[in-house]
Amino acid sequence: MSLIEIPVGPQHPALHEPIMLRVRADGERVVDVQVVTGYNHRGAEKLGERNTWSKDIFLYSRVCGICNTVHAQTYTQGVEAIGGIEVPPRAQYLRTLIMELERVHSHILIAAVMAEVVGFDSLFMLMMRDREPVMMLKELITGNRVLSDYYVLGGVRRDIDDVKKDKILKVLERVEERVKYYKKVFQEDFTISRRLRGVGVVKPADAIRSSLVGPTLRGSGVKSDVRADDPYAAYGEIPFNVITYSEGDSLSRMLVRFDETLESIEIIRYVLNHLPQGPITIKTAVRVLPPGEAYSRVEAPRGELFYHIVSRGGDKPYRVKVRTPSFHNIINGVIAYREANIADVPVILTSFDPCISCTERVLIIDEKSGSVKSLRLKDLSKGWLGGS
Amino acid sequence: MVSAKIIKYSPWLLHFNTGACNGCDIEVLAALTPYYDPERFGVRLAPNPRHADVMVVTGAVTKKAGERLKRLYDQMPQPKFVVAVGACAISGGIFSGSYSVLSGADKVVPVSMYVPGCPPRPEAILYGIVKLLSKLDGGRDE
Amino acid sequence: MSKVLDFLRSLGLTQLESKQPRRYVFEVSADRLREVIAGLIRVNENLYVSAISGVDYVSEGFIEVNYCLWVVDEKLMVILKVRVPRESPKIPTIYDLIPGALNSELEVYDLLGVVLEGNDRLRRGFLVPSEVASQGLFPLRKDFKV
Repeated sequence: MSLIEIPVGPQHPALHEPIMLRVRADGERVVDVQVVTGYNHRGAEKLGERNTWSKDIFLYSRVCGICNTVHAQTYTQGVEAIGGIEVPPRAQYLRTLIMELERVHSHILIAAVMAEVVGFDSLFMLMMRDREPVMMLKELITGNRVLSDYYVLGGVRRDIDDVKKDKILKVLERVEERVKYYKKVFQEDFTISRRLRGVGVVKPADAIRSSLVGPTLRGSGVKSDVRADDPYAAYGEIPFNVITYSEGDSLSRMLVRFDETLESIEIIRYVLNHLPQGPITIKTAVRVLPPGEAYSRVEAPRGELFYHIVSRGGDKPYRVKVRTPSFHNIINGVIAYREANIADVPVILTSFDPCISCTERVLIIDEKSGSVKSLRLKDLSKGWLGGS
Repeated sequence: MVSAKIIKYSPWLLHFNTGACNGCDIEVLAALTPYYDPERFGVRLAPNPRHADVMVVTGAVTKKAGERLKRLYDQMPQPKFVVAVGACAISGGIFSGSYSVLSGADKVVPVSMYVPGCPPRPEAILYGIVKLLSKLDGGRDE
Repeated sequence: MSKVLDFLRSLGLTQLESKQPRRYVFEVSADRLREVIAGLIRVNENLYVSAISGVDYVSEGFIEVNYCLWVVDEKLMVILKVRVPRESPKIPTIYDLIPGALNSELEVYDLLGVVLEGNDRLRRGFLVPSEVASQGLFPLRKDFKV
């Protein structure tokens, strides 16, 4: 049995938290996968206790840059629930707009990364190119490409006018066209099919029992989406479809994201065409909150994001607990590697849309000869075990 | 000692995330795509530390990642430089003072260039790298 | 109407008020937790552990652990609040009943020091850096100073 250890040196461009996977394999077949964490632990929950309620919006947005607006949403909606703060309708719609734009950029990003993982470099570059206009739209609305810092307690910071609205609609037309094309590539390309179809199958009951969430859960046919089941922001008023695919393999998980991206574009159109008039924020800023607790859930691009917020009165939180979707998907998702080959490991991992920095190197320790070889994750993904 | 000038026209990057929110990382990634055309500067990603010239560090440097950072830096051959991208890599950013964070890449490795921002734009990141390279014209050895 | 809520009410648990819709909060003692969880799964297997959130009420001398379960087809969240003394916080594990609880149990042990009895995978350093863990400190306790 050779023990393969995938260490963390996050050198892969699509970055997320550094994490280590310990893969134990018998020849090519994966026998066991363990996840070693701790590299990205920054102590955000503890830090939050010493900031004021408003300051913490900035802190919690930075738990994840890729999905910072959903973090801001989950945090602020929890605080607003404790404080009985009613957010004006226009702000709810604008919040929905920015969250859906974030979903679009995030889904295109992981699809591009998947293309890279299976060796399709040019597809990766093309998708990254077609993602850039979405980042530009985020900057148009919030003033920044990535970290929006758009939320305040009781509203949002900036408004949009008709000029911006028209620009958004125009740019999204082209993005939609490209996403449809990329979806087709994923469905029809021979290489992608071979690498993703039937790989890393997760049955619906296992997915639920292991707390898998988001497209990972919906790719196993479970119809569960926080926007539909536990509506927040403006989702209660917006018609949209919850996307599921029943095969439970890596391809299903990717296809869920493509369809969700197209669905997001529709939601954005609805939001823009039905934007309520009115203020974008409450009149007086709230500094002190009454005692209370909130259990806040939001559908982040990667799945259900959860915050538990405790107030004991005063201007600072007593406790903020953050549970990201990747905490479940990556750590509990080890069940998906059961029947896989070594080369499938990066594909399955990427299909979960991990918030982890993909590692670059793999150490192969041959227990018999004691030799240690070092390979790139990309080479591993191509099934090459290297010469001696 | 090898002159640092030799890397000036083809700097290969090693990107290391030491515990970041990924905001900087996706902008580093974006900077490496044709939209920003990094290859006109000869900039590209190195396959492993031993081929890298410039290490791009993001993140506030968690204690666990800090050990890795040092190891990676040591594995790079001379001449080598470190660019700290983003507020967290410069000083810990908003996570400065946390029990699990070292608050800045220069607590672990020598940093030659700081690119501020939260996150900095891809253009800013490329500019930081190019500026570092232009400093090498003086033939500075490291 | 809701199988899950009917079941929980039939157990005579204290239900607490919640300001949010679709949130149902119940107090459960540590020794009844397994009975409640096992019963819930029997009544409706379409539920999962969304989070296990521990809070240190240092002035009152207890740690309160919130088991937050989302019931997929009933579209509601059940929160079970379990209180244990700070000096010796112990709760029976539930990860054999719901595998998805494993990572959350590991976290609440590493960050708050709550011992999940029967969980053989508990270890320090799951998230917390070794220099903090090796001193026997739990960062999310209120007496841990940043």
